[in-house]
Amino acid sequence: MSDLIQLGARNERPRAPRADELELKFSPTAVEQLDALRTHYAEDKACILPGLWIAQREYGGYLEPAAIAEVAHRLGRSYAEVEGVATFYSMYNTAHTVGKHMIEVCTCLSCHVCGAYRIGDYLKQKLGVDFGETTADGVFTLHEVECLNACDRAPVLQVGDQYHGPVDTAYVDKLIEELRGSGSSTVVKLADEIVKVHLKDGQA
Amino acid sequence: MAAAVSTETVNITVNDIELVVPKGELVVEAVKRLGLEIPIFCYHPRLKPVGMCRMCLVEVGFKQPDGTVRKMPKPQAGCTLPVSEGMAVYTDTDAVKRDRKGVLEFLLANHPLDCPICDRGGECPLQNNTLAYGPSTSRFVEMKRHLPKAYPLSQYVTLDLERCIQCGRCVRFTEEISGDSQLAFRFRGASMQPSTFQLTDFESKFSGNVIEICPVGALTSAKYRFRARPWDLQTSPGICTVTPCGTNIWFDHRSGKFVRVNGRTNEGVNEEWTCDRTKFGHDFYNAADRLATPFRRDGEAFNAASWSEASQAVLAAFADGGEGVAVLVSPTLSNESLFMTQRLVRDTFKTNNIDFRPSGGLAWSERLENKYGLDPVGGTIADLEHAGSILVFGASLADEQPMTFLRVRKAWFSHGARVVVAHEVATEADSFADVVLRYNPGSAAVVAAGLRQLLAKVEGKFTPEHVESVSGVPADKLRAAAASLGENGAVVTTRRLAKPAAEILAVAAHETGRTFLHMGPHANTEGAAALGALPDTLPGGVKAETAGLDTKGILDAAAAGKLKALWLVGVDAFSLGDRDLVSRALENVETLVVTDYRPTESAEYASWLLPLALPAEQDGTYTSSERRVQHMGAILQAPGEARAQWQVAQELAARSGAAPVFSTSEVRSLIDSVAPDYASLTMAKVIDGGELLPRRGQSPHDLEKLAQTLGGL
Repeated sequence: MSDLIQLGARNERPRAPRADELELKFSPTAVEQLDALRTHYAEDKACILPGLWIAQREYGGYLEPAAIAEVAHRLGRSYAEVEGVATFYSMYNTAHTVGKHMIEVCTCLSCHVCGAYRIGDYLKQKLGVDFGETTADGVFTLHEVECLNACDRAPVLQVGDQYHGPVDTAYVDKLIEELRGSGSSTVVKLADEIVKVHLKDGQA
Repeated sequence: MAAAVSTETVNITVNDIELVVPKGELVVEAVKRLGLEIPIFCYHPRLKPVGMCRMCLVEVGFKQPDGTVRKMPKPQAGCTLPVSEGMAVYTDTDAVKRDRKGVLEFLLANHPLDCPICDRGGECPLQNNTLAYGPSTSRFVEMKRHLPKAYPLSQYVTLDLERCIQCGRCVRFTEEISGDSQLAFRFRGASMQPSTFQLTDFESKFSGNVIEICPVGALTSAKYRFRARPWDLQTSPGICTVTPCGTNIWFDHRSGKFVRVNGRTNEGVNEEWTCDRTKFGHDFYNAADRLATPFRRDGEAFNAASWSEASQAVLAAFADGGEGVAVLVSPTLSNESLFMTQRLVRDTFKTNNIDFRPSGGLAWSERLENKYGLDPVGGTIADLEHAGSILVFGASLADEQPMTFLRVRKAWFSHGARVVVAHEVATEADSFADVVLRYNPGSAAVVAAGLRQLLAKVEGKFTPEHVESVSGVPADKLRAAAASLGENGAVVTTRRLAKPAAEILAVAAHETGRTFLHMGPHANTEGAAALGALPDTLPGGVKAETAGLDTKGILDAAAAGKLKALWLVGVDAFSLGDRDLVSRALENVETLVVTDYRPTESAEYASWLLPLALPAEQDGTYTSSERRVQHMGAILQAPGEARAQWQVAQELAARSGAAPVFSTSEVRSLIDSVAPDYASLTMAKVIDGGELLPRRGQSPHDLEKLAQTLGGL
């Protein structure tokens, strides 16, 4: 992108997909859930956040441009607006593809004092990736995050919708083993749980 | 239809000067009443305030019972703070000055100081504010952020992310004014970037405005980039002649060459916006193949000739030509040119064979004002803003009448008007329409009749069910549309809509007391019609005793070899449709004279090719689609010997014995003597913002003729 692109004819520049060019991937359940969520709000703009959670689940944890476009299309909002929302929040994975499991290491004060970086280093070494990277087999993504609000369990890790702490290297070994063994993706599960919370909120 | 403005006022003080201002006015606006200015970046009077840049910080306090002023501990953003009773605003205390310095230092922490190569340099609010209020040095020694420079967001707009100060004006413009929401902020914090989805093409019909409202050089015009420095430009007030809206523009030029267009404020027409056709559609002034001298055909070649030879040749072919000659004129010529041309045609050529419309124009007795006595343009663009409901019928307003589109959208966005859109295809206005009626091609009149029946509560065969069977518009939708339109409001359509539908809508609007706007497609369609550039209408709308041939008739006659001479003034005949007919017509005419600013396809058949001065190269007035007469002076010099059409017409008339006319003001007196509408205008008003032609006034008659039209459906 940083190359100075010559000003050419209009059709030489990438253009946003037209409605009929989108490959819609939402499952029937997802469409149903989105329609249910829309009724919770006065306008569809407010449904962008839960809509993106559904998309994050349906697209396997990574909000690729097509996923953002699909949400925008289904909610009748502009692509740019939905992309702006998605890229604002750090829990939407818009930057790059993620593995099946996202291990988030809290490195804020309490965890830091209790050895979060030792755990972090151990994880990096064990998985062979740095913070912000995904293992070659596409199973684990490692992230460094700010305070997870669980200082009583420092050092704490978040994997999907579960907190693990206090952790030591033995616990990490066991956790990695377990996650490798499990067939389902905790990233998708997290998104699903959040969608369910949204759906429940509306019923209350 | 004035807006319900709150008349409640509050007493405030600004820098200890007492002031009475309307309640709820923003501080940043209130201080302008004292001639003071609060520096701003993100605030824009026509956009909702967001308080993003903090440039407008002021100190605010309230009078205590003991007479002292107790200030708020922290400075307040003047752009988001409405005034309230007893408020004391301070705009020039030491604290405010220090705050402004601080804000500017932060804004400049990442803003590159590449002003010498920045297009905005010289007209840049950041530059100006820094000079006036900013620190002279920066304490930041860190690297500035680096981002792509000169990214082409579209063929018109270039994005330089490094320069962006994240004020959000462009984002809010696309959300609030143009409504396409093409721009949004991606990412957050320091890496926040205004851009399109995935940096794809910025597809908007009003994208040029974001260049003008950007307070830095982040969004620049791809067409103007590095063409000039603002201080080298001369600027003159002009009128857009590319669209029918009469958009007011600043026409920037340098060394006699057109450079760029900026929006000029006219609250009645375009507020301060331009459409992209206006903003980027004026390049033809610099066309490389502009004609600068008359040309005579000698065999295959064109050879330069003098105007004197040309005039003699044209007169020889046309004078007293009667039925054997004809003239087609362009509805983008000025009122003066159109008037003088029709006068030449009628007085010297002795014929009524003149027309400005493409094929299929209505005869005198078929036009709304004559058939029913209904005013085809019964309101103004500004009227729409406060219409409770607006029916947009059979028109893609964003394409055909861009400024009307913006006003309709504003009525919806700012005043909650209900909008119903009926058209064969999807349009921009669908996005905010209450009800969209998508009818089958060719069934417009039936839908109009169905709507009329519901709105005017009359009986007839056009029940919603019948309309559904013909047009494919669900009966429920039609009823919903009628309910949404309520008891009053406005009906907007354009001349592209075929006759029966427009007629039905006009009568329906009259029956239900709605404003009706039937808007023409070109810069001076209204002027051409009012000043007699029609085969059956004399200036002032008077019916001609014998009608001449209309465009179709002229082309048919030419193709049949019945025309001795044909003159195309600013018209490329091939743009009139039916290319086969046109080429036969041009081949079979003995003398074809083409007047245009550059050689057109028709010019290949011409015996004489005459150079035409463009609108900004001559003094003239134009009648926009809302019948507003506006003036544009001669800004540039026409190339070589190119002349305004009124000059050409007057010379021919003078050569054959008429009294010579030396200036456009003389032409205007001539117009005033035959067209009472124009006689009532004051030139000072025409120059300053334009003046509306007097409403014809409804004098409805023969409304029962509609039954015949309805019966024919």
